[in-house]
Amino acid sequence: MFTKQPIASLSVLGLAKAFSGKTVVKDVSFSLYPGEIVALVGENGAGKSTTKNMLCGLLPPSEGEIQVAGQTVTVVDGKQHGIGAVHQELSLFSSLSVAQNICISDLPGKPGRIDWPACRQIAEQQLAQLGVDVDVNQRVENLGAGKQQIVEIAKALLHASKVLILDEPTTSLTAPERERLFTLMRRLKKQGVAIIFISHFMDEIYQMSDKFICLRDGRQVGSGNIADTPRRELEEMMVGRTLDEAKVTLTPPSTELAVQVERLSSHYFHDISFSIRRGEVLGIAGLMGAGRTEVAETLFGLRPFEGRLLVDGEQMIKPNVRQMKQRGVCYLTEDRRRNGLFGVRSVKENLSAAKLSRFVQRRVKGMGFRGEASQAQEWVEQLNISVPSIDEAVSSLSGGNQQKVLLGRWLATLPRVCILDEPTKGVDIGAKFEIHKKIAALAASGVAVLLVSSDLPELLDLSHRILVMRTGHIVGEFAREDFDAVEIISLAASSAFEKQRA
Amino acid sequence: MDRALTQNPQAPTEKARWHSWIKQYPAAPIIVVLLVAFSTLSPYFLTAGNIESVLIANSVIMLGAIGMTMVFLTGGIDLSISTVISASAVIAGIVMAQTDSISLGIATALATGLAFGALNGFLIGYCKLNPFITTMGTQLVARGIAFLLSQGIAVKGTPFGLMDFSFAVVLGLPAVSIITLVITMLFIVLLGYTSWGREVLLLGSNRSAARYSGINTARTELSVYLLAGGLAGIAGLISIINLGNAIPGVGDTLLLIIIGGVVLGGTSMTGGEGSVMRTVLGVAILAILTSGLNLLGIPFYDQLIIQGVLIFVGNGLAQHLSRRR
Repeated sequence: MFTKQPIASLSVLGLAKAFSGKTVVKDVSFSLYPGEIVALVGENGAGKSTTKNMLCGLLPPSEGEIQVAGQTVTVVDGKQHGIGAVHQELSLFSSLSVAQNICISDLPGKPGRIDWPACRQIAEQQLAQLGVDVDVNQRVENLGAGKQQIVEIAKALLHASKVLILDEPTTSLTAPERERLFTLMRRLKKQGVAIIFISHFMDEIYQMSDKFICLRDGRQVGSGNIADTPRRELEEMMVGRTLDEAKVTLTPPSTELAVQVERLSSHYFHDISFSIRRGEVLGIAGLMGAGRTEVAETLFGLRPFEGRLLVDGEQMIKPNVRQMKQRGVCYLTEDRRRNGLFGVRSVKENLSAAKLSRFVQRRVKGMGFRGEASQAQEWVEQLNISVPSIDEAVSSLSGGNQQKVLLGRWLATLPRVCILDEPTKGVDIGAKFEIHKKIAALAASGVAVLLVSSDLPELLDLSHRILVMRTGHIVGEFAREDFDAVEIISLAASSAFEKQRA
Repeated sequence: MDRALTQNPQAPTEKARWHSWIKQYPAAPIIVVLLVAFSTLSPYFLTAGNIESVLIANSVIMLGAIGMTMVFLTGGIDLSISTVISASAVIAGIVMAQTDSISLGIATALATGLAFGALNGFLIGYCKLNPFITTMGTQLVARGIAFLLSQGIAVKGTPFGLMDFSFAVVLGLPAVSIITLVITMLFIVLLGYTSWGREVLLLGSNRSAARYSGINTARTELSVYLLAGGLAGIAGLISIINLGNAIPGVGDTLLLIIIGGVVLGGTSMTGGEGSVMRTVLGVAILAILTSGLNLLGIPFYDQLIIQGVLIFVGNGLAQHLSRRR
C-alpha cells in the first residue's frame, strides 16, 4: 500500500484555453494525488474534453500552469510524464493488429527493424493485466466495440504510470466488462496511479470516485469530496439550476393499435412479435448486440425481413424508408455521427432534412426555401437547442445539442409512430431530462413510441411496457406494475454468459 | 441555459458577414489580385476583344466544370467528362456531316453525353461501384469511340449554319458564352434553390444519414452523373462551334483544368460543400491566368511553371482565409 504523498501527481493552476480568441475553458485549478480517483463532471460542452486534452498533451493551454510531480511543464508529454488517456472517440488504427495498436507509440526494437515478437508480448501482458482474453494478432476492426475499448485502455495503460485519464470509458461496455474495468481501476488506485474519470453516469461516479471537479460553461464551478456531496446537489451544480422533479408523468395509452409485428425474422433476430398502441411507450431492453437496433431499423424500412409488419392495420410489404415516413413512422438513430448528422451542413438544413416541405412555403413545387429559416428557428427554440446561429455547421455543436437537432428533425415530420434508439446516448443531464419530457409528451399526444435504450432507469421511467431482447429473441415482457430492474438485467444478460460458457 | 445565444441569431456584424462571404468564395480575393495585376501590366487585358475571347475559350471548360461540381458535391468524381466531350463532338460531327441537320447534331451530342452519364450513374448509384474506377472505364471507352469513329482526324463537313453561329452576338456577347451563362444560372438555381439540390448536398455530406432520412440516394446519384454527362454533350457541341470541326481529342486534355477550377473555387472533393458559383470563380482564376500570361508574351513552358506555383499559392491563401474565423 502507498501512503499518501505530499507531492501531487498532477496539479493545474488557472488553466485556460481559447480558440482564436474564444475562451472555452477558464480557471481550472486542482491537484491530483497518487491513488485518487477524481471525477471530472459537467454537461456536454462544459469543457471536459478540452480540459482532458490539455491534461494529456493534445492541446497546449493558453494560460495557466501544469505541474507534473511538482515540476512545472509547458505541455504534457504523455510518455515522458507517465500520463495516459482513453478518449471517448476511439483512437485506434482499425486495420492494424491489437498488438500493433497497443505498442504504436513506443514500438520495441530499432527503427526499420521492429521487434514484433516483443511487441506481441507487451500487448499480451497488458491485456492479461486487464484480465481479458483478446487475440493480439487480431485486427482491431474485427473486434466488437467493447473489446476495442479494452484495447484502447490497454494502450493507454502502457504509459500511464502516474495518471490515467478515462473519458466515458463505459459507454460501449457490457455490464460484466464494465465491472472488470472497475476492478482494474481499483487495482491501479492501490498501485498509486491517479485516475481522472469522466462519465455521464452518476451511479458510476458515486461508485468509483473519491473527489469531483465540476465544470460548467468552461468554468470550474465546484470541487470537493464525493462522499460529502449528495447526488442531487452535484447534478444541480453541473446544470447550474434547480432540477425539476425528475420523474415524468405517463398517461395511459389508448386501445387502438398503431404497430403490429408478427413473427418478424431476419439474419439478426428471430420470431419477433409485439404490438404498440397509440400513446404507448414500449421499451426494449437488452445488451449490445441483442438485435434491438436491427429490429428498430427493420421497422423503419431500412432492412429486409420476413414476417408481417402492420402500421395502422395495414400490412407493409417490402417497405422502404420513404414509405414508412409517409405512414408517419420516424426513426432516431443510435449512431448519430454515422447515420444521423450531416456534419458540414448547417443546423437549419439538418433540421429540415427529413421533411423539407413542412419547413417551406413554395409557389413552384420543389423550388425555393422561403420560410425554412424561421421554421428551423422555432424548432431550435422549442427544443432549447443552444447554438450561436442556425447557419452554424451541426458538427460544431455539443453532443446533447446534436441529439436535440436530430430529435427535432423527426418531430418536424409530425410522426405518429416514433422509434427512438438510444435517444439520450452521450447526452448530458439537462438535455436528457428535456428529451424525456418530450418523449412523455409525444406519447400523451397519442404517438406510439418504441424506446430502445441501454439506460435501464430511463426505460423504467418512461415505458408502459418493457420487452427484453437477448441474442435476437424476445425473452421477456414486463408490464409497468411488474417492473423489476434486477430481473430485467439478469434476463437480458444471462444468455450472454451461457454463450460464453458453452 | 444559453438563452442569450439561442435568441437573436441574425444581425451579424459587418466583419462577421465579410468573413462568412470570404468563406463562401475563397477564390474571390485571388481574382481581384490577378485582375489588378494583369490590367496594370497589359493594356489589352481589359479590352472587349480579350474578354470575349476568354469567355469563348472557357465555355467548354465551364460546362464540364459544372458537371464536375455536382459530382464532387456527392463525394464522387467523374473522370469521363473530358473524353465524353470529345466523343459527343465526334458523333455529333459525323451525324451533321451526313445529314447537314444542326438540330439532329444538337440532339446527338446531348444524347451521347446523357448515355455516358446514365451508364456512370447506373453503375455508381445502383451497382455501388467506385466512382473513380467506373468513370476511368467510361473515360477510356469514350476516348476509344471518339478516335475510332473519326479515324483520329478532325471530322469535316460541319454545317455552315453552325459555323455562322460562332460569330453570332446576343446582347453584345458571343452567343456561345450566352448559352454557357444561361446553363450556369440554371444550375446555380437547380443546386442552390431546389429540393433536388439540397438532397445532392445532404447525400454528399453523409450518405448513410441521407438514406436514414429517406432520400433515394441511388436515384439522386444517377441524376447527378446523368446531368454531368448531358453537360459534357453540350460542351462537345460547343467545341464544334468554337473550332469549326469536331476534333477527336478536343476534351481529353481538359480534365485537370476542369478539376482544378472546381477545387480552386472551393468545392470540396469529399462532398457536401460547394456551389456552382464557387466553380465560376475557380474557372475564372485559371482563365484569367492563362489569358494574362499569354498577353504578357510569356513562353508556354514558363507559363506552366507560373500557373503551377500560383495554383498552390492561391489555394493555400484561400484555405487560410476560409479557416480564419
